Amino acid sequence: MRTTATLPVTPPFRRILVANRGEIALRIIRAAHELGMEAVAVYSDADTMAAHVRAADLAVRLGPAPPAESYLDAELVIAAAVGTGADAIHPGYGFLSERASFARAVEEAGLVFVGPPPAAIAALGDKLNARRVAHANGVPHVPGTLEAVAVDRPDQLAAVLAAAAAVGFPLLVKAAAGGGGRGMRRVAAADELPAALVAGSREAAAAFGDGAVYLEREIMPARHIEVQLLGDSTGQVVALGERDCSTQRRHQKLIEESPAPGLTEKERHLLHAMAVRLGAAAGLQNAATVEFLYDRDGSFWFLEVNTRLQVEHPVTELVAGIDIVAEQFRLAAGAPLSPSVLAAAGRAVRPTRHAIEVRISAEDPARAFAPTPGRITRWVIPAGPGIRVDTAVEAGDVVPADYDPLICKLIVHAADRPAALVRLRRALGEVEIGGIQTTLPFHMAMLAEPGFLDATGLSTSWVDAHWDGPASRAGAVRIASLAAGLAQLGHGESDGRGDGSEPRGPQDRQGPAHARRVGGDPSGDPAWRAAGRAVAIDRWPR
Amino acid sequence: MTGGRRRAAPPTIAGPTHDEGVPAGQDRPVDPRAIRVGVAASTRLEGDPAITISPPIDPATRLPQDGDSAAELPLVDGVPTPARLERFGEVRARLVEPAATGTDGRDVRTDLQLGPVRIDPGHGKQLREVVVAGWRIEVELEFERRAVLRERARRGAGVASLGGPVEVRAIIPGRVVAVLVAVGESVEAGQQVLVVEAMKMQNELRAPREGAVERIGVAVGDTIEVGDLLVVIH
Repeated sequence: MRTTATLPVTPPFRRILVANRGEIALRIIRAAHELGMEAVAVYSDADTMAAHVRAADLAVRLGPAPPAESYLDAELVIAAAVGTGADAIHPGYGFLSERASFARAVEEAGLVFVGPPPAAIAALGDKLNARRVAHANGVPHVPGTLEAVAVDRPDQLAAVLAAAAAVGFPLLVKAAAGGGGRGMRRVAAADELPAALVAGSREAAAAFGDGAVYLEREIMPARHIEVQLLGDSTGQVVALGERDCSTQRRHQKLIEESPAPGLTEKERHLLHAMAVRLGAAAGLQNAATVEFLYDRDGSFWFLEVNTRLQVEHPVTELVAGIDIVAEQFRLAAGAPLSPSVLAAAGRAVRPTRHAIEVRISAEDPARAFAPTPGRITRWVIPAGPGIRVDTAVEAGDVVPADYDPLICKLIVHAADRPAALVRLRRALGEVEIGGIQTTLPFHMAMLAEPGFLDATGLSTSWVDAHWDGPASRAGAVRIASLAAGLAQLGHGESDGRGDGSEPRGPQDRQGPAHARRVGGDPSGDPAWRAAGRAVAIDRWPR
Repeated sequence: MTGGRRRAAPPTIAGPTHDEGVPAGQDRPVDPRAIRVGVAASTRLEGDPAITISPPIDPATRLPQDGDSAAELPLVDGVPTPARLERFGEVRARLVEPAATGTDGRDVRTDLQLGPVRIDPGHGKQLREVVVAGWRIEVELEFERRAVLRERARRGAGVASLGGPVEVRAIIPGRVVAVLVAVGESVEAGQQVLVVEAMKMQNELRAPREGAVERIGVAVGDTIEVGDLLVVIH
């Protein structure tokens, strides 16, 4: 099926292992195959039939479904790579992707880690340390502590409260090793602080194996704007453009777009330069993302660095015209930043495309985005110009409760933001999912929000403050009830072909509508089919 | 919609009177063909309305008056409603409703997915998944007469459960990572009792009301499924 003979370039590696699952594992395997490399998948018992396992050239079982016994077990993953003769490991996002200890262990096993060097992961991936690096390099960071809070020391409580008062309320308790809002707690007043520290630290310890937490001022309202960086082994770091990920709920991103609407070229210059300065100072190589908050008076505040591929990397790929995962493999193999990357970086402050991604997750937007794992019974995804869909599920698949609820990224791109929004509305209308509730109705509702459409309402707090799922759902309940009732009565129901005749009696209410006669032939077949069969019967009389 | 649509679903509707089985105390009879459509427990939210839908008025019992175009229309909560369902194969369908007055006069068309009919083994109701604008709503259908009887029976059973034990059951599958109360301990409404990890997020589960912890059905490390008994508060 794959032929390496026609490839224009030498594959960066012969065989790589993808230490992840779901859409991102499939996306990385696709890039590997396009570069002429073999891909090794790993899987847990919940994923034995998964798309990434089917797509790979080899697959290794890691263990039972819980992440700690499978995708988070560094020793198992490295053993799988060594055992299958892989040259490199791509960690994707989540799981082991931001653990410096994992990256180091991969290198010690004689393999290449596709990501920043372990030292850069340690320097930037630890959020507290990243804040100190920003501080030392003159990049403005969100006000807060630069050291971890002593959670287990009751005698230090007074000092903690004093530090909190200096930061100011409301503030956020954040995990030094955190990501995706895990280990994070909002604290409105001093008396809530001790409980929030304990809860945040426990969640951080469970999720990352590190319970260190720190305090940070809550900047609100603010937009979340992040910069995609690529760097090579010569120390050169470039910015590929920025993304606006302001539409989020409890620090889980829901919609991302590139470029960030409304920034001036001067602001882009400043923002990209700050990100590059920070990345270069920390010895960044490969791919990383620098996150900032953009407040109402136009200031950027450094938030954190993600030393890995981001979920939302496709919007940058579509605007920049760069395959970031392919570049990661080339950079990991020691290549310098390619001419096409340098050219894209040069264009990044004057973008000429617009891309928007929506995250379709197994979550119920009418029940505070509670997870909705279960079996997908229907799965129709959009197609046509300007559409990219990154997913690894199909009808019949079960979304396990053990992992992240993201099941599909729908990305659209067009010449500008208004055209991309129109395209997104068209694409969302083509999605058909059955069996589980998803975030789809949230995305459809956002396309009717004036503040989202003209970008004036973009804010990290918008969803928590304004989203009313049950109200948005009420109209759907009425239509669903009416449609099901009419179907049951069999009255006023036609088969959609416009004849509208022959209302069906209640007795055949479950009969398939398409089986009904449409015209012409007494046997009930449509006219064209009857005509075709008449020819066949003439030709081969019985 | 033409005419006013009633929001609440009255238990009875005006209609034909050839039903001998009218329960005593019922001021108006129920059309034996009428169907109650509500949201099934699996996807129900508090306040979701139910509707009653019945075929057009039976001409055997009520002669349509001259010019009464509503006589051919199905009744939704007793109101003739000019809604139509178009089917496109097994799943795809479209609800067509006339435009509301004051708009541009075009029909309102809503594409939707209409899943196959299933039978709820518990109640014998028919269940059907309908997806509208991304909202997955499982509706339940039963004859209106049966629904009325069921409601009467429930009222008859009284409100003996008030003040009784409250069972807290899992609404999401996941893994128990912390149990913060012990049997016999008294808890306040809103107090954190369990921490359940699902899809990488830690969900703090709180007591629905004050009381004493009578039973704890899970331990740290347990994997739980939807509906599992977690805590009983008395």
